[in-house]
Formats: sequence, C-alpha cells, structure tokens
Amino acid sequence: MIPLERRSFLALTGVSTAAVVLGTGHPAAAGYDGKVPPAPFTLGVASGSPLPDGVVLWTRLAPEPLAADGHGGMPRRPYTVHYEVADDAAFRRVVARGQALASPELAHTVHVEVRGLRSNREYFYRFRAGGEISPVGRTRTAPGPRDTPTELRFATASCQAWYHGHFTAYEHMATEDLDVLFFLGDYIYEYAINANNLWRQGVPMPAPEHNTETVTLSQYRLRYSLFKTDPNLQAIHAHVPWLVTTDDHEVQNNYADEWSETGITPADFLRRRAVAYRAFYEHLPLRAVSLPDGPSMALYQRLGWGRLAEFTMLDNRQYRDTYPAGVVTDNSPERHNPDRTILGAQQERWLYEGIARTRATWNLLSTGVVMAQIDRDTGPGELYSNDMWDGFPANRDRLFAALQRSSATPVVLSGDIHRHVAAELKTDWRDPDSATLGVELVGGSIGSDGDGAETDSFGPLWLGNPHVKLYNARRGYLTGRLTPTELTSEFKTVPYVTRPGALVTTAARFVTEAGRPALNREV
Amino acid sequence: MPDVVRRLRATGELGRIRLSWEGEAYHPLVDHYAIYASVDGADEALLAQTVYATFVHSGLGGRARSVRYRIVTVDAAGRRSRPSSAVTGTSVESVAVSGAPIATVGSFDHKSLELALAPNGYAQFPTRFPNDVDFTHGVHAPGTDWAYLHPGPADAWAGRKAHRFTLRFGLDAVPAADPWLAIWLIDTHATNPGTVTIALNGTPVRDVALEKGATRGSLEGDATLPGTVLKPSYVELALPRAALAPGENTLTIDKPAGSWHAYDAIGIFTHP
Repeated sequence: MIPLERRSFLALTGVSTAAVVLGTGHPAAAGYDGKVPPAPFTLGVASGSPLPDGVVLWTRLAPEPLAADGHGGMPRRPYTVHYEVADDAAFRRVVARGQALASPELAHTVHVEVRGLRSNREYFYRFRAGGEISPVGRTRTAPGPRDTPTELRFATASCQAWYHGHFTAYEHMATEDLDVLFFLGDYIYEYAINANNLWRQGVPMPAPEHNTETVTLSQYRLRYSLFKTDPNLQAIHAHVPWLVTTDDHEVQNNYADEWSETGITPADFLRRRAVAYRAFYEHLPLRAVSLPDGPSMALYQRLGWGRLAEFTMLDNRQYRDTYPAGVVTDNSPERHNPDRTILGAQQERWLYEGIARTRATWNLLSTGVVMAQIDRDTGPGELYSNDMWDGFPANRDRLFAALQRSSATPVVLSGDIHRHVAAELKTDWRDPDSATLGVELVGGSIGSDGDGAETDSFGPLWLGNPHVKLYNARRGYLTGRLTPTELTSEFKTVPYVTRPGALVTTAARFVTEAGRPALNREV
Repeated sequence: MPDVVRRLRATGELGRIRLSWEGEAYHPLVDHYAIYASVDGADEALLAQTVYATFVHSGLGGRARSVRYRIVTVDAAGRRSRPSSAVTGTSVESVAVSGAPIATVGSFDHKSLELALAPNGYAQFPTRFPNDVDFTHGVHAPGTDWAYLHPGPADAWAGRKAHRFTLRFGLDAVPAADPWLAIWLIDTHATNPGTVTIALNGTPVRDVALEKGATRGSLEGDATLPGTVLKPSYVELALPRAALAPGENTLTIDKPAGSWHAYDAIGIFTHP
C-alpha cells in the first residue's frame, strides 16, 4: 500500500495512464464531443474526498439508467464531459473548468480531481456533455493543514437498502448545514429484489433482471443505478462532499477478503470482488488511486480538517481474517489468537503510524462494523459476533494501544447494525470504572430493515453491556459538531420509511469533551 | 477485445453438468461470461451469465441430458469476444428415473414445496416433530409427515442435538439385486453442511459428507426459479440386500454432525 499522498501524486503525474484517461480530468479527454443522448444526468452529481486545494467531482452519463446491460443506455464510445467550478451557485465567478473522458470501460462515469482551489471554502460545480447540463452540486474544500477551524459539521450514513424504504433520512439530512458526510458501508445490497423484500411503497416492482443476487459487473452496475435513481440520495450527494468506505454488502454478506459464506471458491470469489469493487469505484466520488486493479482496491485513506480533526477511513473487509472457529458467533479460544487481524498487517502499520503522527485534536476513525465489545450472552456466559471487531480482539487491542499513545481524542464512526448505538470505548471492557479512551457513534441505517421501532428484542442484549449508552432501532442518521473543545453528536430518527414524508426527531444528544472522552447525554 | 476462454471442460454428474474454463479476468476486466447451451440438440440459447470461471448447469433432472456449450467473454466496456470452441457434456441418470420405485417421499423436482413445513417453517420443527420424523410409506403423507428441513447438532433452533429421520417401507420379497437409495436435496448449509449416517434395519450402510450449499434452503423451496441461489445436491447409493427382509423395513438417516439440509425427495428403487 502506497500512502494516499504519494499515490495521488503518481496518478496526477501520469504514471497511472489508464486511470488518468479514464475520466479523471486529463487533457486526453478532449476530442470526444458529439451528440450525447438526451437527458444523460439521471443519476445526479456528487463530490468527495475534500483536500485543502481540491475535491473529486463525480457524475455519470446514463440516459436510461436501468438499461439491463448496465451501460445506462449509452453508446459504446467515449464522450467528453466538461466541468465548471464556481464560487457561486449561479456560476458568475467560475474558478476552474476542464474536461474528463466518460468511457464505456467505467460505465461513462467521470471522477474529476480538481486542484488549485482555495482552502476551507464552499464551491459549486456542474457538468456539460454535448448540449446537456447537469444539476448543480455544492461542495467544499478542507482547511489548510496548519489551520484550526472553529468547527466541523459532519454526518454519517450507512446501510441504504433501497427496497426496504424511502430515503427520508437523506431528505432531512440535505437540509442540515454540513461540511462532510462519512459513508460507512452498505451503499448497495447484493440480494435479489422481489416481492419478498420490496417494502418501499409507491414504486413499481423493478424489472426481473433485479431479481437476482448481483454477481456480474452488469448486475452490480444496475444495482448502483437503481439505488442512485432515488432523488433524496441524489440531493445529499449534491449537498455535501462524501468520504466513503465499504462494508460487506458492496460485495456479499459477511465476506472476508477472498472468503464467501456461500462456498464460492476463493479464485471465483476474487473475480466477483473485482467487478463489485469496480462498480463501487465507478459510482462514488473516489480518487483515481482507488480505481481497482483486479480484485484490489486502495480504499483506506487519511484526510484532515486542519488541526481540528484527522479523518481515518478504514477498510475492514478486504484484508480481514475469516471466522476464528468457522462460525459467526462464539467465544472460541481461536478468537484470541494474537495474529488475527481485521485490517491486514499493512493497513494496521499505516494506521498506527498515522495515529502516532497526528497533531489534530480529534481522530475520527470510520469503520464499517461496530468496534466496541458487545457480549451477546445476557446470562453469565460470553458470546461475540466475529463479523464485527469482536472477532478480532487482538487487532482492537493493538489499535487501542496506539490510540492511548496519541493526544488526539478518538471518535469511532460505524454502522452495519441498522441501529443507533452510542458506546464508550473502555481500556478494560470488564471494568466499567476503567478509563474511557474514546467514544463510538454507531449510526442507524438509512433504509435497511424498514420502519423499525424505538427498541426491539436486541435492545437488552446491547444495553446489557454497561459501556453502551444508547440503543434505538429506528432508521436515521447521525450528525456531529466538532470544535476544538467538544463534540456534540445527535442521533436523528424518522418514525417510518416504507412510506415517504416522515418528520425527523433528535432521539439523543451527547456531548464529548476533547481530551476527556465520555458520552454525556443532554437529550 | 476480451480474450476467448480456453480449456472449456464439461463433467457430467447426477442432475447437473459442471463447467470450468480458463481466461484472463482483470485486463481487460471481465464483466461476465455468457454461457450458451444447446440441450439435447435443441437450438443454442443463452443459459447463464457469470463472472466466475466455473458454472454448474444444475436442475437437469434425473434423466441423462447431453448439452453442448460455448462461452462468450463480455468485458467492462461491453465488448464481446468471439465464442469459444464448443464442448459437450452428459449428465448421469438417476436411479429415480432408471429404477422402479419401492418407496418414495416427495417429488424429485428440485423443490421442497410438497414437504411438511416447507418452504420456511423450520421454527415449528421442535413442536411439530418433537420425536423427529418417523414416516411409514403408504400411511403417512409428505405434506404433513416429512419435514423439509433435517436439522443438525449445530442448529440451536432444533435443540443442538442429532436428529433421526426414519422411513419405514414394506417388501413382499427381498429383491434379487441391491436396491438403491436416492436422496435429493435442494440446499444445504454453506459452511457446515455436516454428514448423514444411513442405516438399514440397524445395519450401518454409509456415512456421507454432504456438499456445501447456499444456506437458503431453510427459507425458500424452489431451486428451479431463475436466479435462484439454492444449491441442490444428490446422494445416491446401493443398499445391501442382505440387510433387507420381507415385511416392514426401516431406513434411518441420522445427522450426527453439522447444520441442516433441505430435502427435495427421498426414495428407494430397484436398480435396472
């Protein structure tokens, strides 16, 4: 793994030729103008990975987004896509413009890496292909590395099973004043969509080609297209730059590196992982460094918000070990094997080096699955989910040791479980009075599991762990306001998603002081 | 242009033909392989699309089928290779077709739907079958008396114990040759399919390690649906005629290890 800084440089200097030509803003994109099919911007625009001087801008040409072959109704030839970045939404003060190539190899997506922007500022962007103009997106750049901004406003989101409900949570999130959104995995689900799981009311049953588990690139592309037709998802992409990681459903439930729970051989599963990662890259505002090479995708990265916060985006699927003793939930001796890793040796090294180096006040670590220890046996025994960080206690111990050596206050952001959970990260899980080294904010799902309820049968299990301070089984999202002295986190919920139109509620608010991590509940 | 696949092979088994091939997967990236098939001389048609370099053409039923295959590689840009050279495979005939039935439970049709609790009622197993399945041919009915799912000791919902399914059947006379047992499964557990121990009138016959399935047969019961993830498998073996006797005979299927398996049908046949 090459650190992001160096990899970006390589890509920008043309070392990765394919990546530069394939939709990343290189002059080679010129000369492919021509008649573009009408109304190609059906899947909206997006931005992501903000740096102090630039951001990634994304769109896709897809006049027929649900064309069964996954090519969005585009002819099999490249097209030049022009972009503009402006200080204002009316584009009176354009500060950058250029072009990128939308090619059939990448399903006519573009990932423009704009540089030369001013730090810590809001910008607006749009695209043009032929005579067609895209919707306008809003984005922003990060503060300079030595700046200390007064605040950061962020949100987290995960688990957006389109078929389980409307993205009302995004509708409300798009009205919030946000600097960045951390997406924590399960952007799509691989499952067949049919009458059994289409709980989203008011939409027609998707065509038969959606009624199959996604395996081919065409099928994964089609799945992203279907989910991205949602207007609220498009609105939140156009509202705020995203930083993204995956969990399992971008490929297959519970996968671990090359291991599949459905018995697919590693050789075959890697072929599937390759197309799944390709479709993920294609449809999200990622830098060219993340363009997968076969089944490998450089996804984990570190960004910053000046001296206020470091953002550590972790990849907890691609390199993880399989279940310790072959089953999801247990307390086997193999769980405690010190060699077990959820991140892989290279990512672990990179992570601990970054933690040691940071001079930020806060370290926001994004990971797909829950990190806090959760004993699932409500009686005297102990049981743990090996699909979460609980399957890798030695890796968690190494991470906690590194975090304890750093002055930055850790805040872990995760998803996966479709529930809002807030937990204190303990130096000794068995001793509630032991020091709290950080907090974990688990954001509930955007759509997965349908309407939900304030609590459910798993509530006592989670709350039976004394470091767990909140359990809520509604759909929703998390917002955070980070200042040099404190983090205010709000867990937002909607009472239903199978129908549109629900209002949003703040189910809980916590304040966490920098340097003295704890969850102090206000609401 | 994407590469044409090489070394396409077809291996016939009971109810299915296994295909495998070789080819560059990543440069250019393969979107999928389009598998074309001509079954028993019929017109060639698109059979399946997969990103894997293997494919199991399943659901062929108990008859021997001869299938000619060709594969087209489709890459990420939508470009198509020319077709591979063709290969022909023939599936193996089941005793459920070639033999004469002595006793059967359910239809050999890649569906569990005609069995008790199917397709997803496994949670009722402990109350509906507190003493497991004890089925007498000619007396009991598959829809009420033979559970679609046979739990194993790994299944907490069925008490984490070994379960026995018993099939009693009558014989006027002991057949002249070993009869055959056919057990068709629509699916098994993906990681822990376990083993079955088969005995005839108390005489051990064989322990069979089951194939890994897709862990979906507990929830859905039709492996013939397009896009199904169910993974059917088959156990067919000879039963020693020395263990048989005129009158009532008892076949037992024990599950001493592993999680559940999901039945399609079970039967005893005279071998042709």
